[in-house]
Amino acid sequence: MLLVFLVSCKTDIKDRNAVLDIEQGTDTTQTTANLRETTIISDNKYAAFLGYYVGQFVPTIDVHEAKKTVYYDMEEWQRTNKINISIDSIFNTTIIGHSVVAGNDRPFRGLVEWDEHIKAFKCEVKEPGTDKYDGSFSFYLYSNKINGTWKALRKIDINERNYQLTKRKFSYNPNQNLEVSKRYADWTKVVEEKSTQTIDDEVEEWIDQKFASATDAIYSINASSQKLTKKDIENLSKGDLLIIRNAIYARHGYSFKSRPLRVFFDAQEWYIPVHADIKSQFTDLEKENIKLLLKYEKNAVEYYDYFGRG
Amino acid sequence: MTKLYFEYLVKMTLLVLSVYSIYLMALITWQYIPANNEVAFLVFKDHVIDKLYYRVAFFSHVYISIFTLIAGCIQLLPWVKSTWPKLHKHLGRFYVLSILLVTAPSGFVMALYANGGLLSQISFVIQALIWWMFTWLAFDYIKKGDKTMHYKFVWRSMALTLSAITLRWWKYLIVSTLALGPMDTYRIVAWLGWVGNLLVVEIFLYFYINPSEKETFGSD
Repeated sequence: MLLVFLVSCKTDIKDRNAVLDIEQGTDTTQTTANLRETTIISDNKYAAFLGYYVGQFVPTIDVHEAKKTVYYDMEEWQRTNKINISIDSIFNTTIIGHSVVAGNDRPFRGLVEWDEHIKAFKCEVKEPGTDKYDGSFSFYLYSNKINGTWKALRKIDINERNYQLTKRKFSYNPNQNLEVSKRYADWTKVVEEKSTQTIDDEVEEWIDQKFASATDAIYSINASSQKLTKKDIENLSKGDLLIIRNAIYARHGYSFKSRPLRVFFDAQEWYIPVHADIKSQFTDLEKENIKLLLKYEKNAVEYYDYFGRG
Repeated sequence: MTKLYFEYLVKMTLLVLSVYSIYLMALITWQYIPANNEVAFLVFKDHVIDKLYYRVAFFSHVYISIFTLIAGCIQLLPWVKSTWPKLHKHLGRFYVLSILLVTAPSGFVMALYANGGLLSQISFVIQALIWWMFTWLAFDYIKKGDKTMHYKFVWRSMALTLSAITLRWWKYLIVSTLALGPMDTYRIVAWLGWVGNLLVVEIFLYFYINPSEKETFGSD
């Protein structure tokens, strides 16, 4: 039996290929402000229409039929992302705004036409087209909601989506704890490791299990409001550490590029993707906590499953 | 015949396992060359690493104990002792002196600051103390010519020397089966690592060295 361990490749002293999941837009060392410049030139009568509209960005195709499903925790993820369409200004017949989804923050502009009949703007807007995922939106803008469709400008995996968004106000709340959410959020369950299975020529992707090691600690430890000590986190799993750290970013409205993190935080009711870059927004407390968490995370990914001890 | 075959299998397995484990231990040691205060284990020692005596203890422990381990394992091979009795004597001296002067005292200092709080600190402190004591007794008995007692205490000393390896195997076993939290795992293996070895050695000594056999160990 002992020989089995010898043969298994995991008995080296550490994982030399271990990579920490650090989202691009969350580097704490960068201090220069990188915020969007928003010059709000807008007719006052339209002020009620400005702001964030948040909801699900849903593929119009049947993802399952199209064989583009991603599984997480034995459940299908229908490739739906939380999107934030921000209406920044309306002037005459021009509308300017930006969309934040899946780690992309893209400006758009287009034309509006007031429809007196339904008391809404009919909007046709377009993103610049310089990004792979840019597209054109066509929607009705009400004072409290947006309904519409989206088409990708280039050929990508999922090129049509629709959305029904509600107006939301975003404010950074350091006291916001994670909520126990049913959908995709039971990271305490043990799930299979990531694998791609081919059944009848159908390639199914299974999401990495690295977060599945999370415990209930993720609901009680808030790294934005409490100063974390060694004692608080030294017994936490990789998954705990990862989620506790990324929850800081989520509170600031960071839009996640990482798919599993996105699926996880999208399921949090309070979460609104606002920025693809939050480098300048951390409080000193958060910066210190991020540093401490990363130290333990690095050790956990390198050593936890291995013979060596950090 | 089958019993002999079984014994051979066990011995070979232990040998392969030991060689592989020593290789892994060498890799662990290698991480600290050149001396670096911000690598591996030391990442969590930032509160003591600025103390000179801790650095002296840590690095002397790491750099010397790998050789203590290798020397000890070679000493356990019966044919080495019978073929090269002189080597046995010199290696034995190195083994004993390295523990008495370096690795046990440095282990004691590190034990006082062990991760995992009082529970693991107590474990490592006891371990350092009895490691020193058993090794001293093994040395003292051979000087007096008492080979049976020498043999017994050498095995007890090796039980503690080998805890460096067994505690890491326990750690590997625990995280791959029970997936306990890292610090809980640490506290458990702090005890399992050496208590388990001592138990095995005591059982081994009890069954293999019965009074009638005593003289067997007296002859080279």
